[in-house]
Amino acid sequence: MSRHPAPEELLLDYASGALAEGPALAVALHVALDPAARRLVERLGALGGALMETEGDAALDPAVLERTLARLGDVPVEPRPAPYVPRPGFEWAPPPLARYLRPNLRWRRVLGGFEEMRLSTHDAAHQISLLRLMPGRGLPVHRHAGTEHTVVLQGGYTDSTGNFGVGDFTMGPDSEHEPIADPGDPCIALIVLEKPIVLTGPIGRWMNPLVGRGWL
Amino acid sequence: MLSADEAADLIEAIASRQDRAAFAALFRHYAPRVKAFIMRGGADAEAAQEIAQEALIMVWRKAASFDRSRASAGTWIYTIARNKRIDLLRRTGRPPIDTEDWLTTFHPEPDDPDKSVLAGQTYTRVQELLGGLSTDQLIVIRMAFFEDKTHTAIAEELKLPLGTVKSRIRLALGRLRDALEKENEP
Repeated sequence: MSRHPAPEELLLDYASGALAEGPALAVALHVALDPAARRLVERLGALGGALMETEGDAALDPAVLERTLARLGDVPVEPRPAPYVPRPGFEWAPPPLARYLRPNLRWRRVLGGFEEMRLSTHDAAHQISLLRLMPGRGLPVHRHAGTEHTVVLQGGYTDSTGNFGVGDFTMGPDSEHEPIADPGDPCIALIVLEKPIVLTGPIGRWMNPLVGRGWL
Repeated sequence: MLSADEAADLIEAIASRQDRAAFAALFRHYAPRVKAFIMRGGADAEAAQEIAQEALIMVWRKAASFDRSRASAGTWIYTIARNKRIDLLRRTGRPPIDTEDWLTTFHPEPDDPDKSVLAGQTYTRVQELLGGLSTDQLIVIRMAFFEDKTHTAIAEELKLPLGTVKSRIRLALGRLRDALEKENEP
């Protein structure tokens, strides 16, 4: 059980399929790393299944079954998928992230002393990035203009609200915070931002024009 | 009616020998239910029928991924139908997601010690649970699953404070947990 679980109502949004791609990815990674969240999502799946079973059935033209059977000749029964093996260099990536890790993806240094991989998705309302912070390094003081979802994938960080380790989930909008990476492995986290964050520290304010251009 | 065990047997028959008779039996039971579920969310009969057909074809394709010790047939088919509904919404302007990925995330890892929670007779428990929820809780849960709305959207639509909707969800999920944990006791 992680010390910072995702709120249950968000897990319901995820299990019912109501979340946009960015937040859905953040929750999927949390669920992959946190057995308690996974159990709840599985139970929600059972609840959805039971609701579907008990809701009754709609009349279906019998010809649909015949048409469907006729199509099966072209549809192979796929073999059981092989167990997930992370790509070299991406051992920290849980399975739901794999399809976002394009072959040419590299850590890119960003002003402010951290590294970023920007993930491309179909979700125009959210910016989805992986951030990497070396131990003892921090992000510039910032506050969130929109909702921010964060999941820690490796290492950990500490800010005024607490200590966050692998699998921990946080969701803004929040007060200003200044996360510092814990000792040990570099801290890697998925960050899903609804809107660009607004930097408020002295250097941060200077960086805001860069943020506006999508640097962060 | 089709019991959970019978439905699981049918999916395994597809996986092991591409059994078309097993597929037809699954189709007769689940396609009308998937169609009703999709129509509940506001789709017209024709679109719902198409989704039901596509969902059952996905059941055929992915039959070898099904693991009865981890999920009941109904749960698994529900997740497939839900993903097909998301596909439909994608065509109508919602940001798309990779639906096959969702299928994978719904499968717990092999080393998860707490499996089989959802197999077997869970339906009976969940159905009992649904009978025990208050009307207020049931409305919120049904809107989430049938109408594919976030808890924020539900609060807006019901003109309720967000906190009220959250607490109804949490109470309902607490009961879900209690009901399913009871099942694991000897």
